[in-house]
Amino acid sequence: MIRKTINKELKELFRDGRVRTSIFIVLLLLGVAVWISSRQYQQTNADYAAAKVSERAVWENQGEKNPHSAAHYGTYAFKPKYPLSLVDQGVDKYVGTSIFLEAHKRNEAEFSAATDQTGLARFGDLTPDFILLFIIPLLIVLLGNNAFTKERELGTYTLLKSAGAKGWKIVLGKWTALFLPVLIITVLLLILAGLVLSNLSDYGVFQWSSLTAMGVVFLVYYSVFTNLVLWVSYMAKRSGISLVISLSLWIIACLAAPKAASNIAEARHPYPTRQEFAANVLKDKDAGLDGHNPWSKEAKLLEEQVLTEYKVDSLQQLPFNFSAYLAQKGEEHEAEVYFKHYNYLKEQYDNQSGTYRSLALLSPFLPTRFLSMAIAQTDYATHWDFSDAAEKYRIATQAFLNNNTAQNTRYGERGYKASADFWQKLPQFEYEPPTLGQILENNRSNLNTLGLWTLFSFALLFFTTKKI
Amino acid sequence: MIITNNLTKKYGDFTALDQLELSVKEGEIYCLLGANGAGKTTTINLLLGFIEPTSGSAFINQLNVQENTLETKRFLAYIPENLMLYPSLSALENLDYFSGIGGEDLNKNQLKGFLEEAGLQSDAFHKRIASFSKGMRQKVGIAIALAKDAKVLLLDEPTSGLDPKASNEFGHLLQKLRGKGVATLMATHDLFRAKEVATHIGIMKDGQLKQEFVAADITLSQLEKAYLETMEYKTIVA
Repeated sequence: MIRKTINKELKELFRDGRVRTSIFIVLLLLGVAVWISSRQYQQTNADYAAAKVSERAVWENQGEKNPHSAAHYGTYAFKPKYPLSLVDQGVDKYVGTSIFLEAHKRNEAEFSAATDQTGLARFGDLTPDFILLFIIPLLIVLLGNNAFTKERELGTYTLLKSAGAKGWKIVLGKWTALFLPVLIITVLLLILAGLVLSNLSDYGVFQWSSLTAMGVVFLVYYSVFTNLVLWVSYMAKRSGISLVISLSLWIIACLAAPKAASNIAEARHPYPTRQEFAANVLKDKDAGLDGHNPWSKEAKLLEEQVLTEYKVDSLQQLPFNFSAYLAQKGEEHEAEVYFKHYNYLKEQYDNQSGTYRSLALLSPFLPTRFLSMAIAQTDYATHWDFSDAAEKYRIATQAFLNNNTAQNTRYGERGYKASADFWQKLPQFEYEPPTLGQILENNRSNLNTLGLWTLFSFALLFFTTKKI
Repeated sequence: MIITNNLTKKYGDFTALDQLELSVKEGEIYCLLGANGAGKTTTINLLLGFIEPTSGSAFINQLNVQENTLETKRFLAYIPENLMLYPSLSALENLDYFSGIGGEDLNKNQLKGFLEEAGLQSDAFHKRIASFSKGMRQKVGIAIALAKDAKVLLLDEPTSGLDPKASNEFGHLLQKLRGKGVATLMATHDLFRAKEVATHIGIMKDGQLKQEFVAADITLSQLEKAYLETMEYKTIVA
């Protein structure tokens, strides 16, 4: 009976010109979205590779130079673009692609794609994640809103009831027939994306397991929509009413809830303004050691401590250059200050995410969005991770440079220059993003929420329609 | 095959069916006559298990309908006044589906055989139902009953709106099913068709079965007179 119902439903669906047109449009959009995204992905990666090589070349070819000058001259940490960003660009466009690493200061990522765009960017981009998150659920609404109401309107419902059809078998048949086109479209998209990415192996390690995990997340998301749309169709008296209710659910779930959640999260856990943040950092920096000011109270205290520790009377008697030592201690103090303030931002972000997660009970869109971005490594968490890694590299770079000065000069000695080949000894910045296992572990609450949505919607559909 | 014992259905103070005692045996065609609201459709809905009786019981093939709603449907076929099928599917596909959900898995030739037996012309087998007349749809309905090997056939005003030829053909089909031992209960306004096809006739009014006849024992004019008297249309009779 289930097979017969699937066949019947699919025949009805595909003989309807409106359905054929809708599916064709979605497939066309998907094709265009993958094409656009893959071009962007290739371009960005080519730029990334070229920038990385050229920046390293600049660093290594500084010639003879004072290490602290080199510290101020700085270098860049470039954020790689990960393969699955082709499917879900997440927040990549807004968070910047490179961080300038210099002495005394932790900089934010800059050169985001969004800043390069005109006001037209407000219209948004045609990307695969837009199709996956918004358009396919809309397709489910269009295909499934009359799954049951049409039976009532046609009068076939009475015949179904009199035929002794078991409710759950009819529902399962209808469910499968509605889900099948969505499954095929999604799998097609993911295979297409996988094939494109496999052929772009120069750019990062593409893993089919991550793509599969992402596909499973989206299919679970669609199963929730399928359940809800069929349930509405079962409960509604007429197709028109069913369509309006299903569309309202789509609007609430995909458009209203994420925006409302964003507003609520921002209102409950606001980020400081850029000016506040800068002022707070400056205040804390001023309250501690300044590596460039040997006359400050903190510098004098450090001087006393070092002289006592090395049991000498003057800085000249120290086996290293105290100025460089002071600079390094100043760096460490500043790094602590930055970590403190960035950790506060991160806490606020975690609090906002927590609010989001709790509001994810309002819409299956929210946990799906988070999971998709996380698996694609285009979420804020990955960006924070990259930003922290870059900061650790910056601190290590400053220590590398200050230690060189401290070891190779004496207090009061001016004009020291490191050799031209010294710069090559600094290890290159390499960032390892979280693995799929770590991502899923970190997103357990999102997985749980999506699981709850799935259980709830299946239970709602199958218990309500038990008796046709 | 079909038995009702004191079958009663009330909606608040309104009694739609009042202690109906009815029996339709194998190979019998029982026509229920009566005006709108007499309780004919309520009887059929109770036998289908679509509604619960207030009291009394109904049996199909010795199974209590209320206790075995799903099982009893294995034995019956139902053709409503306007048999609606899936318009975008062909006659063959509709038959395949409805016989399939009834538990039958028939091959194409078997399905064609049933459509043929129901009197549908072979060039219509693959046509979509959207282009079918009511008579043609009724034939597909009969084919569903044949494919299902139904023991009981419940018909609610099946000839309403059919032209005389189609109505006559439908009558012949019922006789054919009768020959196969099918017990048929048909609710109708059509006295002529009832007299033509029925083995037994009952006249209902206000939810009660007022009179019962063996069809062979009365003439059409006697039936008409009995009907009008039951309906208390005395002035017209006089």
